[in-house]
Amino acid sequence: MSELATKLDHVQTRFEEAVAAATDERALDAVRVAFLGRSGEVTTVRRGIGALPPAERPDAGKVINAAVERMESALADATARIENRAFEAELAQSVDVTFPAIAPTTGSIHPVRRVLQDAVAYFERHGFATVLGMEIEPDYYTFDALNIPATHPAREGFDSFFISDTLLLRPHTSPMQIRTMQSHEPPIAVVAPGKCYRRDAVDARHLFQFHQIEGLLVAEGIHFGHLKGMLTGLCRELFGADQRVRFRPSFFPFTEPSAEVDTTCPKCKGRTSACNMCGGSGWIELGGAGMVHPNVLREVGYDTEIYTGWAFGFGIERLALTRYDIDDIRRFVECDPDFLTQLA
Amino acid sequence: MRVPISWLREYVDLPADAQQIADRLAMLGFPVEEIAERPVITGVVVGKIVAIEKHPNADRLQVCKVDIGGDAPLQIATAATNVAVDQVIPVATIGAQLPHLKIEPRKMRGVESQGMMCSAEELALPAEWFEDGIMQLDASSPLGRDVVDLFGLTDAVLDVEVTSNRVDAMSVLGLARELSASYGAPLRLPSFENPGTDEDPDGLAPRVTLDSSDCTRFIAQRFDGVRVGVAPAWMRVRLALAGQRPISNLVDVSNYVMLETAQPLHFYDAEQVRDGHLFVRNARAGETLVTLDDVERTLSPQALVVADSERALGLAGLMGGATSEVRESTTAIVLESANFEGVRVRRMSMQLALRSEASSRHEKTLAPALADMGAARAAQLLVALGARAYRPHAFGADLGASAAIELRARDVERLLGLRLEPQRIARHLELLGCGVALDGDRLSVTPPAWRRDLTIAADLVEEVARVEGYDAIEPVEPAVPAHDVSSAEYQLETKLAATLSGLGYREVLTYSLQGQQVLERVKRAGIAASREPVEVRNPLSEDQRFLRWALGPGLLEYFARVDAPARVFEIGHVFAQEQSVTEIPVLAFGFSAEAIDEPAWHDTHFLRLKGDCEALLRAVCGITVEATRDVKAGLHPGKTAVLMHDGREIANFGKMDPRVTRSFGVRLPVYLCNIFLEHVPEYRVPRYHPPSKFPSTYRDLALVTDFDVTAEQVSTIARRAIGELCLDVRAFDEYRGPQVGEGRKSLAIRATIGKYDATITDEEADAAIARAVEALRADAGATIRT
Ligand SMILES: [Zn+2]
Repeated sequence: MSELATKLDHVQTRFEEAVAAATDERALDAVRVAFLGRSGEVTTVRRGIGALPPAERPDAGKVINAAVERMESALADATARIENRAFEAELAQSVDVTFPAIAPTTGSIHPVRRVLQDAVAYFERHGFATVLGMEIEPDYYTFDALNIPATHPAREGFDSFFISDTLLLRPHTSPMQIRTMQSHEPPIAVVAPGKCYRRDAVDARHLFQFHQIEGLLVAEGIHFGHLKGMLTGLCRELFGADQRVRFRPSFFPFTEPSAEVDTTCPKCKGRTSACNMCGGSGWIELGGAGMVHPNVLREVGYDTEIYTGWAFGFGIERLALTRYDIDDIRRFVECDPDFLTQLA
Repeated sequence: MRVPISWLREYVDLPADAQQIADRLAMLGFPVEEIAERPVITGVVVGKIVAIEKHPNADRLQVCKVDIGGDAPLQIATAATNVAVDQVIPVATIGAQLPHLKIEPRKMRGVESQGMMCSAEELALPAEWFEDGIMQLDASSPLGRDVVDLFGLTDAVLDVEVTSNRVDAMSVLGLARELSASYGAPLRLPSFENPGTDEDPDGLAPRVTLDSSDCTRFIAQRFDGVRVGVAPAWMRVRLALAGQRPISNLVDVSNYVMLETAQPLHFYDAEQVRDGHLFVRNARAGETLVTLDDVERTLSPQALVVADSERALGLAGLMGGATSEVRESTTAIVLESANFEGVRVRRMSMQLALRSEASSRHEKTLAPALADMGAARAAQLLVALGARAYRPHAFGADLGASAAIELRARDVERLLGLRLEPQRIARHLELLGCGVALDGDRLSVTPPAWRRDLTIAADLVEEVARVEGYDAIEPVEPAVPAHDVSSAEYQLETKLAATLSGLGYREVLTYSLQGQQVLERVKRAGIAASREPVEVRNPLSEDQRFLRWALGPGLLEYFARVDAPARVFEIGHVFAQEQSVTEIPVLAFGFSAEAIDEPAWHDTHFLRLKGDCEALLRAVCGITVEATRDVKAGLHPGKTAVLMHDGREIANFGKMDPRVTRSFGVRLPVYLCNIFLEHVPEYRVPRYHPPSKFPSTYRDLALVTDFDVTAEQVSTIARRAIGELCLDVRAFDEYRGPQVGEGRKSLAIRATIGKYDATITDEEADAAIARAVEALRADAGATIRT
């Protein structure tokens, strides 16, 4: 019995040394296997019980079990200690949070589409549908049906790109007014965004291709005040709640009365002579609008005694230039990754 | 159009502030491009030289006594050489402020000088447009009168934009009338009575034969006793402020009347018009005419000329000819005040690449009545210059009274959403020159004779709104009624863009018009363009001659520019010349990526592209479409697939033909997918398939097949053979090489097998796999690899 106890003491001493020497969980596991495993040292000692007189065996068993319990408990403490040390070590780490981020591989929507979508969303919220059209249109839809006579200068081929005698790249989205009204009975409420073409030399303010958003509302009781209401709302949606909108008389063959629509320059908020966005005028020109000309309504077979309507056409690039403070319209088609990334 | 505010003030009282006037004009529909401020000038008065003496100490100086209406004449020394006694001239008195000079008492070589006589330049007028030396004023100018005030020298000049429907307002009087109506300030009109009442001398009455319907009215009027010389100072200053160079009294009168009334005029030397008989006719083919700018022009019948019986004297409404030009010796003239069809003038102007102030008005078609008004004003000014006016002769259609337009007060409210009393509506229209007969709610409106743009009630409503002010119309949000227009196309585009953006692709916009060089690049790559491109008839430059037939080239240019792995997409239309011109909405997306070193039969990038394409279509139409191999121009012949649905090609995708990539200067391999938006099926809501509650099992098979047996064929055969126990069959590896033999490949597939009502047993699984192996052997010639 005392011999067994001595052995146990030795085992225990070596166990304590091993535990103390273990610095991580794997080392502790090794200690557990070496001492408490199936063929570990404690097992070896336990085998010595068989050599003891039967009367001593129960006590010897108790002594060994007690030792095992102590060892298990020591191992648990050691595990906890090592784990805590690991936590402490990790928690002691710190980083420079100002270090530049690692950018994800993200995609993006083009700023022109983004502005277009925001404008469309505003109108859809108010019950408008959105229609798209083709870019090559017969002159009937681009001119005749829009009350632009055959002798009008816009039809001479100086402003528009012609494909044939009668086909051209649409210079505005207004053909969608005619197409929508011809295929639907009133009332009608649509916006039609899309690409248009004009024979403009390319510079910082002009591209020969650009996007327009056309709007058309025809129903009973629609008047100019409604046009002002909707377009004022649009400008506030796009540029901020304090935007003011100005309607100036103008001339378009397909509207009467007609208006040019301006909004306050969101950059200088008024007359700052040095402002590069508005040229110092304090206003940004958005495009044309007006009450649909009775000749246009008659052309599509709408009863002008019952129905009135308004239409407008805004340049989307112009909206985007203004919204993002972009200096040069060519950036939209330059495919510069930096440009696309900045506005993504 | 340059409009001196001082000239406007002659007709209507206006605020002092130029900006305020400009804002008002803008709100009337006449935006002001520029407000040209004039420099400050003070203390300049009208003086008269009463005596001249030689300077005692300087040969080049003279000492003048100048009467400025005060007690004693001023003594002013001058170096100018054009001074003479009795001249009336501008005098800057002591204390005067000139643009670059303040006048102080001083001695010039010992002689006291009490001011300075001014040249035009010293009054901030263009020196080269006026006499050298001291400016000459009109003899009738009151001595001592403030010259700045007399000429409105310091009032700003507005550059006003006039819309094409309002050619009547391309005139100072037209704009003055607009301002008068808007401010409610009285309009001081000049008289439009023609002072010429005498019958022409025998045989000298001008006659006009209109041989073209493009001349609607022609006033011809003879004047004699004309003395060609310098126009009065007030007229020259006004013209100069309006940007018009003074030439001679006759030319200046015609320009003055045009700027005042919008009606262009022309004077012929009466001696040069054979028999006093003018003809308006088409030019003869090859007929030549030297125009006033001294250019000899060869004409075609498209040109409209004013001629005598022998030769063309001028281009109608565009520019006079040199031979009949008024010269210094001219004493008798024939005035032309005519109305031409705008289209005719515009086309002639474009054809000859010649424009003039006259054509810029005629090309918009003036109202015929303006011809009479212009002639009357010219006659008044010529009579004031000492000429004798004879009776004007009118040719062409009579001036019918304008047709009255019926307008109801409720038309105004209906269109504007603004309720105005009928009296107020009538007043607005009257201020613009309309005749109005008011009957309760109804107005019968006769538009003014000088306007052609008022023909329907809506036109009048706009006039009312302009005078009332667009600002008076209250913005209201409309109640938009229900309607049945679909937004499906737009929603598809929006969803595609959002999904691709989520898949890491950047949207770009590229030019739809391309040059020959893009076609050349494709050709240089040794392949034919996929479609015959559509040509633009009137491109601005060769770079923009063709409509794009595919989006790929635009994306390739992007990849070439970036020269690093990139992912982009574009949604746009492509065009092809087939039996007719076709236009197809397309989405193209793709990426450039570093090549991966892998076996020839495997292309990871291709599978990634396919994955993106499938994910995209699942998002927008809720289905997965099996790819089939195909060949497409521009794509790699062995790495191209199409997705067909209901017999229509939804998409094609693959690696770009390396020859094309290289031809566009792209270093990296490019993978590209085209989706044809019109073929994308409508979104189909996918159904949920719950997993079995019982565990499934799987078996991997290594098959050896011929090259042309596809993974899809193998999977389909296996799936069918396994039957309802089949949960999935998927190819996951491929190998070609000597171990499997020439023309053969090894294909690894995993079949997942299970049941919904019980755990599948090994025996059941093995039996199912045995069926599959047998079917693969029979239908695909596949053997199990050992
Ligand atoms: Zn600004």
